[in-house]
Amino acid sequence: MIEKFQFLAPDFLSKEPKELALLAFISQSFFQPFSVEDNLLVILTALTSGSGIGFNRAMLFRARGNTLRGEIWLGPRSADEARDIWEILSTPGISHVEIIEHNRYLLSREPDSLSQKVVPLSYPLGDDHPLVPARSAIRRELILVRESRREPLVDPDFLRTIGVDEFLCVPLFSFEDILGVIILDNAYTKRGIESKDIKLASLCGLMASNYIYAATLHNKMIEMERMAALGEMAAFITHQLRNPLTAVGGFSDQLLNSPPDEAKTRRNIQIIQKEIKRLENVLTKLTRFLKADEVKTVAFDLKPVLLAVLDSPDLKMKGEGIDVFQTLDDDLPRILADPTLVGEALRNLLANAFEATPAGGRVEIRGGREAPTWVAVSVADSGRGMLPDLKEKVFTSFLSTKDKGLGLGLLFVKRVMDSCGGRIEVDSEAGRGTVFRLFFRCAEEGRSEP
Amino acid sequence: MKKLLVVEDEEALCLLYKEELTQEGYDVVTAGDAEQALEILNREKFDLIITDIRMPGRNGIELITQIMGMRTNVPIIINTSYQSYKSDFMTWAADAYVVKSSSLDELKSKIKELLNT
Repeated sequence: MIEKFQFLAPDFLSKEPKELALLAFISQSFFQPFSVEDNLLVILTALTSGSGIGFNRAMLFRARGNTLRGEIWLGPRSADEARDIWEILSTPGISHVEIIEHNRYLLSREPDSLSQKVVPLSYPLGDDHPLVPARSAIRRELILVRESRREPLVDPDFLRTIGVDEFLCVPLFSFEDILGVIILDNAYTKRGIESKDIKLASLCGLMASNYIYAATLHNKMIEMERMAALGEMAAFITHQLRNPLTAVGGFSDQLLNSPPDEAKTRRNIQIIQKEIKRLENVLTKLTRFLKADEVKTVAFDLKPVLLAVLDSPDLKMKGEGIDVFQTLDDDLPRILADPTLVGEALRNLLANAFEATPAGGRVEIRGGREAPTWVAVSVADSGRGMLPDLKEKVFTSFLSTKDKGLGLGLLFVKRVMDSCGGRIEVDSEAGRGTVFRLFFRCAEEGRSEP
Repeated sequence: MKKLLVVEDEEALCLLYKEELTQEGYDVVTAGDAEQALEILNREKFDLIITDIRMPGRNGIELITQIMGMRTNVPIIINTSYQSYKSDFMTWAADAYVVKSSSLDELKSKIKELLNT
């Protein structure tokens, strides 16, 4: 007999001991499509939130090149603010996304956010006699400082910044590298740091280290893939630029070298202008394509984004004479992605659908919950469809069936979906039409399958 | 008068090549893709063929393969935006490989060279 359980079930957070819940909370966030910065924020949040270990403030230094730099200091600015914040963060059932959004807000407050105070602090990693906090990172030691004002091993600048008697330094490191250090204190409650706190904090430190290490490797891999794609892209751009340039060069040579002929001069200038527009178009599309890398993942409602795209004049013009149906479920959950990029991706798919569909044809957009944690959006057209070999290449190469197409459109959509942790599928039959399905992650957690 | 076939999917370039090469004293016929080129080749004889590689439908390399199957000795110039196709085995079957550029001088001199004009 076998029995299946939901992995890290949502009730974990409320029912299990606080320590287990804390670790579950952190591990879960590593599976969310958050940025490295956001995930580090999750760890700092876990260390400071009332439902976690409950330190008052958490400070993060990260190794950047040969220097240890102050980056984030999370926590309230005063005891009053502390009470308000802990009340919010202790709300039962509060999701990762909500906590991160709240902490992003904390970090972005001007003018006197805590983080601004640690950013000026930096220490060389090559120091042979390092002071705390750099000492903890460089020597990979878990250090608890008490009576800090009498301790000669604490950096005086750091002490002025943190301003407390007691604090804990948790080093972050991998097998080969120093990654950083987290500094924790209880500035407002004045509660003494106990051995249980130290054990849990060090466990969080190990998890943070593993995470940063994995994220660094992952980024290196992506960078390598990008370099390979760049080679392919360079060849592709060369082609896109050479054709118009050949025309511009040739027709302008004619203008210079032929006897004056008003009609021909006019025609040549018109051709040259058209080719220059094409060059400009290549650049515009390329810029947009490259922007798929600058992602800001937030939770948002898909419906208004889709409606705005459908309402844009250029799409309306392309869709003229085509029946457009749109059925998005009313209770569609919010999705996790970059709204601007998703809008652009939808625009690309719809433009393709409209261009592939003859007048009198039909384009249908459907959206609904797919499994407990996904939202699926499909764009179906009754256009010419694709042959199987084309279907296979559709997301992998610079490919276009349109005369003036760059072949960047679907590649862009794929990149957008990759960047938000979603995915895209295609189904197509020559002569029948094509369906693209986009799968986005839901922002809301904790619902189980009906 | 020597007769040239230009296979090129870009309309503006077809026009440019036709005018420029006519000016040079050739009889120029243009084809927008490989299919059209093969159709014309079945009807007419040419002294030289200039072909692009990346075109909708069959590409220039497939076209060259087909022309070789016709057992003619007509010289072929590949005229493309891609330097990289040069490493493709089949491009060796062509007599010259000219990368597109804003000046047609190289193309014109290759034509002269191959036709001994």
